[in-house]
Amino acid sequence: MNAASLIPLIAALPIAGFLFTAVAGRRLGRRAWVVPVAVVAIAWAMAMVVVATALSGGFGESGAVVKLWEWIPAGAVRVEAAFFVDNLTASLLIVVTTVGLLVHVYSIGYMAHDEAGYWRFFAYLNLFMFSMLLLVLGDSWLTVFAAWELVGLSSYLLIGFWYRKNSAALASKKAFIVNRVGDVGFALGIMAIFVDTGTLNIRDSIGHLASGGVSLAPCAQGVVSCAASMPIPVWVIALLILAGAMGKSAQFPLHVWLPDAMEGPTPVSALIHAATMVNAGVYLVARANPIFASAPGAMVVVAGIGIFTAILAASIAMTQTDIKRVLAYSTLSQLGYMFAALGVGAWTAAIFHLMAQGFTKGLLFLASGSVIHAVHDGQDMRKMGGLAKKLPHTYRTMLIGSIGMAGIPPLAGFFSKDEILGETFKAGFIWVWAIGVLVAVMTAFYMFRLIGLTFWGESRVDEAVAPKVHESPAVMTVPLWLLAIPAMLLGLLLSWPGPPLGPLFGQKGTGLLASWLEPVYKDGLAILGRGEEAFALFGIDGVLILVSVAVAVIGMVAAWRLFGVEIGSLRRRGNHEQVRELTARVPFLYRASLNKWWFDEINHLLFIVIGGRVAAFAWWFDVNVVDGIVNGIGSVTRRSGSGLARVQTGRVQNYALGIAVGLIVMVGSYALLASR
Amino acid sequence: MRAWLYLLAFAVAAGIVTTPALLIFVFGGHSVDDALFVALATLMLVSALAVVSMRDIIRCGLAMIVCFLSLAGIYVIVGSPLVAAAQVIVYIGAISVLILFAIMLTQSKAAPAKLVFQTQAAPAAVAAIILVVLITLGISATDWGEVSVRVRLGTDTLARAFFRDDVLPFEVVSVLLLAAVVGGVFIAKREKDAPS
Amino acid sequence: MNLANTLDAYLVLAGALFCIGAFGFLARRNAISMLMSIELMLNAVNLSIVAFGAFIPGLRTTGSIIALMVIAVAAAEATVGLAIVVAIYRNRKTPLVDEYDAMRR
Repeated sequence: MNAASLIPLIAALPIAGFLFTAVAGRRLGRRAWVVPVAVVAIAWAMAMVVVATALSGGFGESGAVVKLWEWIPAGAVRVEAAFFVDNLTASLLIVVTTVGLLVHVYSIGYMAHDEAGYWRFFAYLNLFMFSMLLLVLGDSWLTVFAAWELVGLSSYLLIGFWYRKNSAALASKKAFIVNRVGDVGFALGIMAIFVDTGTLNIRDSIGHLASGGVSLAPCAQGVVSCAASMPIPVWVIALLILAGAMGKSAQFPLHVWLPDAMEGPTPVSALIHAATMVNAGVYLVARANPIFASAPGAMVVVAGIGIFTAILAASIAMTQTDIKRVLAYSTLSQLGYMFAALGVGAWTAAIFHLMAQGFTKGLLFLASGSVIHAVHDGQDMRKMGGLAKKLPHTYRTMLIGSIGMAGIPPLAGFFSKDEILGETFKAGFIWVWAIGVLVAVMTAFYMFRLIGLTFWGESRVDEAVAPKVHESPAVMTVPLWLLAIPAMLLGLLLSWPGPPLGPLFGQKGTGLLASWLEPVYKDGLAILGRGEEAFALFGIDGVLILVSVAVAVIGMVAAWRLFGVEIGSLRRRGNHEQVRELTARVPFLYRASLNKWWFDEINHLLFIVIGGRVAAFAWWFDVNVVDGIVNGIGSVTRRSGSGLARVQTGRVQNYALGIAVGLIVMVGSYALLASR
Repeated sequence: MRAWLYLLAFAVAAGIVTTPALLIFVFGGHSVDDALFVALATLMLVSALAVVSMRDIIRCGLAMIVCFLSLAGIYVIVGSPLVAAAQVIVYIGAISVLILFAIMLTQSKAAPAKLVFQTQAAPAAVAAIILVVLITLGISATDWGEVSVRVRLGTDTLARAFFRDDVLPFEVVSVLLLAAVVGGVFIAKREKDAPS
Repeated sequence: MNLANTLDAYLVLAGALFCIGAFGFLARRNAISMLMSIELMLNAVNLSIVAFGAFIPGLRTTGSIIALMVIAVAAAEATVGLAIVVAIYRNRKTPLVDEYDAMRR
């Protein structure tokens, strides 16, 4: 069987599962999970076949296109409903389907105590899976945009899943609205692409734009005005697409929705807000890499926004006390890394980090969900501590994830982060690299602060809850371990340059992922004029690796000194006095971090207070000026009417006088004109 | 009987008014036609002014008769004796009498109108004066293509024209008159159950 | 100077008479006075028609015929007008036109 024919099924299965569950789920009760999990499992298996085919070169270098039907046949404008799989899509498919499947399985246990919403939750999850797969697989900008909105919708539905909770409802609205801001940019970007190239096909339009001009075909077809060839500069398109990516991937200043999105159930946080949807922006920029490569200014913007988000979020994560919020800011920070990598042209590194983070962050969130589950829906780390013995599986998997996040070799997080930092340094963006190193210290610090507060030291769990703390069921811990495997080994696997894996996937001496994605980035790299560089373990690369490891260790040890450690023989108690002393020494930074740099307050001031004033003024203007003009016309008419009505005396002779005056005017004017 | 006395008084007054003009024209080398024209014109305008300005409406009606009569004279001068005859018969004989009857039917001596004129009398006067100036200007500025000799029109010519060439309009006018008679009767007829 | 032989003299006379009638129509309060003013105006027009007929060769007979018809129509008008005045008077108990304000809103 041809692997390409499976591609539509990958997307079709989850939507079928969604429709089935939405219609029949309520009656299935506790067994509502069966169909959704089954379809995602089948989709995963199919995706793996497709991925293996794609990565082993089965679809050729340009990837496989599956055309279903012509979606919008409008004269010269033709949009096809088609799927497209190349190696970049395949890389994303691995993360999306695998994490998706494991989150589905995990949710069976996690959502078990939510009787009423059980089927609804799985329906939403399936809807999200469909949307996300459509986003990754779509062949036209329009399909991707529709999927883009669909993931936004599913995200909204899932954040507000516990819609009776006011904060959840507010958070879902916030996420939706903030995403709209970015989506407007994305929509405008798609329109600009269409204006420039006359096509909505992703590959065609990128090809046109990257070749630096409009092809004559759309011009001749009359789709694009021939007079204005390339009327919209590429950098505008790049920035508009970036705006969309910033919304979905929660980059500064549109990052405010992601921490609040943690109001949703934890599996949702793991799947949507850590592993998949937030990576959509990274995917989009990577997909559009030739466009960005053609606009070096936009690339610098991407890098600047990315690294700024990284350090901003990392600084906030250092002081948060809600376990999920720490992870949320950590996600933001890592997404910032990815954008920084995208901005310096290290697209492979960005996707590498995306995949590594997809698994690592998915693992961490699911583990935190397990912790929250164990302490009966408590998320405050100040009321945890000493959980390591009670939650052995959760503890171990979470420790693996944290070590990976901190960037200790040989875990996946180390490889991808080191790749980003190294590429950044070698690309000449020393300032990005410097900030990145600082963020790496902070990452290691806050991850082990989290572990220290949650699992080590003495228990601070409420007396009432403490006896009931228990490890989660196997349906939850098994996915944790299954996620821990790629979190440990993926980095080694994807960057392994030699045999036995290298020859198997036909790679050429660089890392496995780099050779996979080489055809995708070929155009962009050619525009940037950057070739492959030999990896020098005993040269600059070795030094950079040592720096990465060193900063990770510094951050880790700092966290150990302050918050304690209990790994094997390595034991130390946390020192809370010292923490207090340190925070007192930098009160401003501490308060800024604790209050998330007051972004919610700034937004409140900007949009609620100032925007409200503007709106009030607009309202005043509408009532008094616009309505005033309208009402004024009315009342002038009425008053002049009633004034003129006095002329209508009802007396015949007054009218006759009018006739006489009119006669005089007519005859007089005639006499005047005739006498000329 | 008093009405005829008033009429006589008007005539005498008119004679006094017109006599100097008459004398000037007669001794100024003008023809009798001219003298008669000026006298009749003066009489006509004065009586017309009396019609529109006098307080007692019956006197107005009598002044109107004088006006119509002098107009008939002017018709004779201009050379249309048949029209003059019709003027006397219809206007003086019929319409004036009709109007006098209407006056008697509608005016109550007990409560005579305090004001003769409307509030808009002044603007009306101004308008009328402007109008007469404009008309005079227009007439003097226009070349009518006229001949300067009056031709007396014989009744036979007029009768031939009336009863041969324009017989249809003539008959239509008779129908109109009949309709007017019927309409006048119908309108003025007192309704049976109306009060008073 | 031959006044009786100039068309303009008759026309100016007719104009003056017309304007006097117009003034009466506009200024008098009494409905019958207004009717009389109308008669004056009709006569003015008639005079001008007869004068045109006398001085313009092409209108020789037509002028007099029109004048006669105007007289007939005026008679009809006077009949109907006076009938109306009488009817209104019977209805409103006044001959004063400025008290007829049924057309007022």
